[in-house]
Amino acid sequence: MTTLRVKIWRGNENEEGEFQTFDVPARENQTILDVVTEVQRVQEPGLSYRFACRVGVCGSCAMTVNGKPRWTCRTHINAVAKDGEITIEPLRNMPVIKDLTCDMTEFFQKWQKAGGKFDGTITRKDPVATLPPSDLKRQKADAGIECINCAVCYSACDTVNWDSDYLGPAALNRAWTLVNDERAANRQEVLDKAIGDSGCSSCHSQGNCTAACPVGLSPSQSIHGLKRMSLLSFLGKGI
Amino acid sequence: MEIEHIKTDVLILGAGGAGLFAALHAKQANPDLDVTIASKGLLGKSGCTRMVQGGYNVALGPGDSVERHFMDTIEGGKWLPRQDIAWTLIETAVERVQELENELGCFFDRNPDGNLHFKAFAGQTYDRTVHKSDLTGIEIIGRLMEQVWALDINRLEEHRAIELVPAKDGSGIAGVLMIDVRTGGYRFVQAQTVMLGTGGGPSMYRYHTPSGDKTCDGLDMALRYGLKLRDMEMVQFHPTGLLGGPDTRMTGTVLEEGLRGAGGWLVNGEGERFMERYDPKLERATRDIVSRSIYSEMREGRTTPQGGIYIHMEHMGPEKVEAMFPGMVKRCADCGFSLPRNEVEIVPTAHYLMGGVEFECDASTVSPGLYAAGEDCGGAHGANRLGGNGVANSTVFGGIAGDSMAAFIAKEGILRDPDTSMIDQAIARCEKPFSVKGGNCHELREKLSNTMWDQVGILRNEKDLEAAQETLKTYQAELSDIGIPIEDRRFNLTWHDRLNMDSLMSMSEVITVASLAREDSRGAHFREDFPETGDLDKTNYTQIYLQGEELKLETPPVEFTHVSPGNTLIKE
Repeated sequence: MTTLRVKIWRGNENEEGEFQTFDVPARENQTILDVVTEVQRVQEPGLSYRFACRVGVCGSCAMTVNGKPRWTCRTHINAVAKDGEITIEPLRNMPVIKDLTCDMTEFFQKWQKAGGKFDGTITRKDPVATLPPSDLKRQKADAGIECINCAVCYSACDTVNWDSDYLGPAALNRAWTLVNDERAANRQEVLDKAIGDSGCSSCHSQGNCTAACPVGLSPSQSIHGLKRMSLLSFLGKGI
Repeated sequence: MEIEHIKTDVLILGAGGAGLFAALHAKQANPDLDVTIASKGLLGKSGCTRMVQGGYNVALGPGDSVERHFMDTIEGGKWLPRQDIAWTLIETAVERVQELENELGCFFDRNPDGNLHFKAFAGQTYDRTVHKSDLTGIEIIGRLMEQVWALDINRLEEHRAIELVPAKDGSGIAGVLMIDVRTGGYRFVQAQTVMLGTGGGPSMYRYHTPSGDKTCDGLDMALRYGLKLRDMEMVQFHPTGLLGGPDTRMTGTVLEEGLRGAGGWLVNGEGERFMERYDPKLERATRDIVSRSIYSEMREGRTTPQGGIYIHMEHMGPEKVEAMFPGMVKRCADCGFSLPRNEVEIVPTAHYLMGGVEFECDASTVSPGLYAAGEDCGGAHGANRLGGNGVANSTVFGGIAGDSMAAFIAKEGILRDPDTSMIDQAIARCEKPFSVKGGNCHELREKLSNTMWDQVGILRNEKDLEAAQETLKTYQAELSDIGIPIEDRRFNLTWHDRLNMDSLMSMSEVITVASLAREDSRGAHFREDFPETGDLDKTNYTQIYLQGEELKLETPPVEFTHVSPGNTLIKE
């Protein structure tokens, strides 16, 4: 394989898009981000895409590659090229800005709607909480905390695709880590939001989020935890 | 040219640790303030705070003290730091870490007894680095951006700042001119106060670690605005950057320090574990020594197929390597290399600018209303930054800047009328490439990065530095002949690549001038023709500013306000 045939989606907000095909030299060390970069540098200077960290901690470069959402900076062409062909599109479930970039505003608004921010009980003048890593609730929080909010799970989620109000896996995963954070003053409030309208009960447990998560987290397990807690809360048992 | 004009009270440039903390603190100080945060990328996703692997230095451990952390910082910085800035950093870090945990919700790793875990980091006499495994930056930015998203503030994401615009009457800052990357339009944001927090980043070197959005734009604007830059010769190189070839963005990214600490070997292209020829501490010597040793091997031609050296881990047992460094093993595997099987080639890589804008302990600059924080600033680190002091620097001074801006507005805040000639000039500069045909911006950036690497890099000497100065002049001429073949301004990356080059060229010149001026070797700056460190008691720093079109250099003495060489503040 000396050449890659790359189909890239081109288009603007509110405009019909179309695929454009490029032949790009295949190299030994080459990621999807490198392919997109080469197209912009050498063949199509008008191509728009987004990236920042280059190492899989910011998620800015996530795109749909051969039908699946991925971090392009961490996807080697050998992992995805089929007979030397690659198709690259913007992430799904978010409005496109131009070509491969999309608007993540709603994704972060839903993060907030799901209660996604910590309220503390003590201040910067106080020593930090003494909390052993063996604490069971802390372990549950830790299991979901390394999310980088790349929206790959959100893009993979069919429920978001059908129901644009659904808060989605990333926001609910964060809510789950918060309701398990014993230092948080707003655990009940977060739970109420996460189990409220368009919250965890909308999830159809298909597990696309968990399969797609590049970090290896399990948002579906977090959502399952929220559903269980919602039931207990309905039965009058506090969190 | 149409310019949209908006007004705000507090304008923050940059949305990393410094920018987000500034927004949070300004709003906490006065919720009625109209706060606007502008970022070249997405809020919290661009910049380098998120990329912090190591951790956050703080004197919170039993037996540790602010004095001890301060002495490590001053000695690590080879007596070049501005001592009151370093003291403010270290003293405030204590409160900032508690704020991150107690108010923002970060949870740093604990010992089995539930107390904070402090890890060892090179160059420090005490284990004082708090961390969240090796993803500390994600924990900090993740929690911080949630708090900022919840605030009622204006977010200008994907906005490139192009000019700090002074007041017409010269009384201070009037606002900032920007390009909205998404629409390609110009926007002038008039503000009572502005904070510069765009985050430096030595990305003009062939191998570099910072995120792709960082191209010294803030420093270039500051220089044009008339601010003075200090310590710009101090470029920190990280010894272990991934080497994947010239056409991949993975090249230059950091492989963590811990690989060497845990027992990894550095092996040259001839299969020799060479560090014993350079330092008795072998691979565990400090960043600067290891970087120089690797570079020497490369210069002698004892290299791997791609021109670097290898990092060997296999002797430790592949399973153990996978268990100890799961993130690094996976990243290398994603890039196509097995770390446990010794397949990874590495190079030293430009990591951090210790130098930057001269600023005060309250984050103010000499221009009323203009503040600065984070990697854009110089003074805290001197000749060498301790691993773990970088994220402390951005979060401490970002927060201080937020407090200071709110206080300034309460006391003497005013919207100043802009000097519109500066706006016109800046737009003309940004528009010019559209009227030029031809040229290849990427090729020129490659040439620049090679010159900086070969002649203004890890080992420096007068002959090379002077040659680089001449070469940079020819690049400047080439740059003005590079055009943009795409008229559509919307998300036009090729235009922004071209504008990035303006900033990189400007700071390359500054680094070269400062490197020529420092005729001794200390910390990150090594002169082959002046290999000794000069008299510490007579330490001067380099200060560069623009006079007309010309760079001016001065070398004021460092004032030992807290402690002088040979003495210590540590009470035994």
